[in-house]
Amino acid sequence: MNEPSLVSMPTLTIGKLTASVPIIQGGMGVGISLSSLASAVAREGGIGIVAAAGIGMLEEDGTTNYEEACTRRLKSEIRKAKALAGSQGIIGVNIMVAQSNYKDLVMAAVEAKADLIVSGAGLPLSLPEYTQGSEVMLVPIVSSARSAHVILRRWYERYDRLPDAIVVEGPLAGGHLGFKPEELLEETLTLESLLPGVLQEAETFGNLKGVKIPVIAAGGVFSGEDIQKFLRLGASGVQMATRFVATEECDASPAFKQTYINARKEDIVLIKSPVGLPGRAINNSFLREISEGLRVPLRCPFHCIKTCNGQESPYCIALALVQAFHGKFKNGFAFVGANGYRISEIVSVNRLMASLKEEYQRVVQNLELLPPLLSPI
Amino acid sequence: MTKAEVFEKVKKFIVDEFKVSEDQIKDEASFLEDLGFDSLDVSTLVQDVENMFDIRIPDEDLDKLTTVGELVNYVAEKKA
Repeated sequence: MNEPSLVSMPTLTIGKLTASVPIIQGGMGVGISLSSLASAVAREGGIGIVAAAGIGMLEEDGTTNYEEACTRRLKSEIRKAKALAGSQGIIGVNIMVAQSNYKDLVMAAVEAKADLIVSGAGLPLSLPEYTQGSEVMLVPIVSSARSAHVILRRWYERYDRLPDAIVVEGPLAGGHLGFKPEELLEETLTLESLLPGVLQEAETFGNLKGVKIPVIAAGGVFSGEDIQKFLRLGASGVQMATRFVATEECDASPAFKQTYINARKEDIVLIKSPVGLPGRAINNSFLREISEGLRVPLRCPFHCIKTCNGQESPYCIALALVQAFHGKFKNGFAFVGANGYRISEIVSVNRLMASLKEEYQRVVQNLELLPPLLSPI
Repeated sequence: MTKAEVFEKVKKFIVDEFKVSEDQIKDEASFLEDLGFDSLDVSTLVQDVENMFDIRIPDEDLDKLTTVGELVNYVAEKKA
């Protein structure tokens, strides 16, 4: 057996897949994480994720032939990412349950041979049914032990299977958040406080089938020190998204990335998204006009999100995110995690991963110099 | 199984498991608006009802089951 260096990060095993670095790159739509970013992460040993959200809007026929454009582009991005990632690279997709064409996107991901499907923004209760007969790994995203329980119980009782991993996403994440706006103001609601309950549910159900369900911590994970902290608290890996925006390989336009570099702490705000969830974003004139009621409702061309009240929304979030992807912020805005303001430069994915590893190693080495604790925290 | 039998069984279950008072359980009571359920409670209840009556409720039917009466009628039809 190879003796790994004492301080290197552990590997992350999700079912039959093993990533040499325990980092999943979080899916970012519209178009922020496509084949370029996902494959770069996978080449560095992490797990690269193509975001399916609104992906068809990046196609020429996106507004006239939305659903077909979505599955076509999703399949082409997965295939491209897998080719660029090499035979060892792990490529998954993020598909939001709330997407109206959820089932079609899931089936497209299976057809294009994605290695895993990460799925949140709703409860992916029927995901095992839609992927029956395929070897794709299934990874729900939850924001509480309760939602983990509901999914675990349903999958176990109805399909006699369990998730291959669970991502628990805390309140510091970017984009749409699985919490009520008032919950986000509670200081006691943290990823650290959510993790033990989800670990417990994963263990209870895992024991029923004699498997270990890895739990992945997400939302505000920024540094190697954070990674070390959540692994020490029992997570098997982390999901990080915001850090990967400020990389050369990120699929967004340079102007999109620049908003991350420019953002100050006070620019990162919570917004009320038309899809009925709070979201975290970089404030700009577009968002200010909306909050001041200066925008009038748009016509909704394709009802892409089940829970979106397109007729009463002051704007279409899919169109706004596509505008931002292209670097146009007059009618668009960027989602971001709570720690996004700490980013100061755009680097390669290789360099970002190397710095995370170094930070991790430094923390572990420093801990080893301390006298051992009597019991783990 | 008659509709009344299904109603009694569902009512007893909701009272016991969700700490809702008996007089709140009426046909027209909405899970979200009247009984204080959230979406996770509804998912849990649907799962329990499936087990209790040995039926399958497909996801696409969930949107139609917003009140006690709708759920009871749905189950009664399946068990008729």
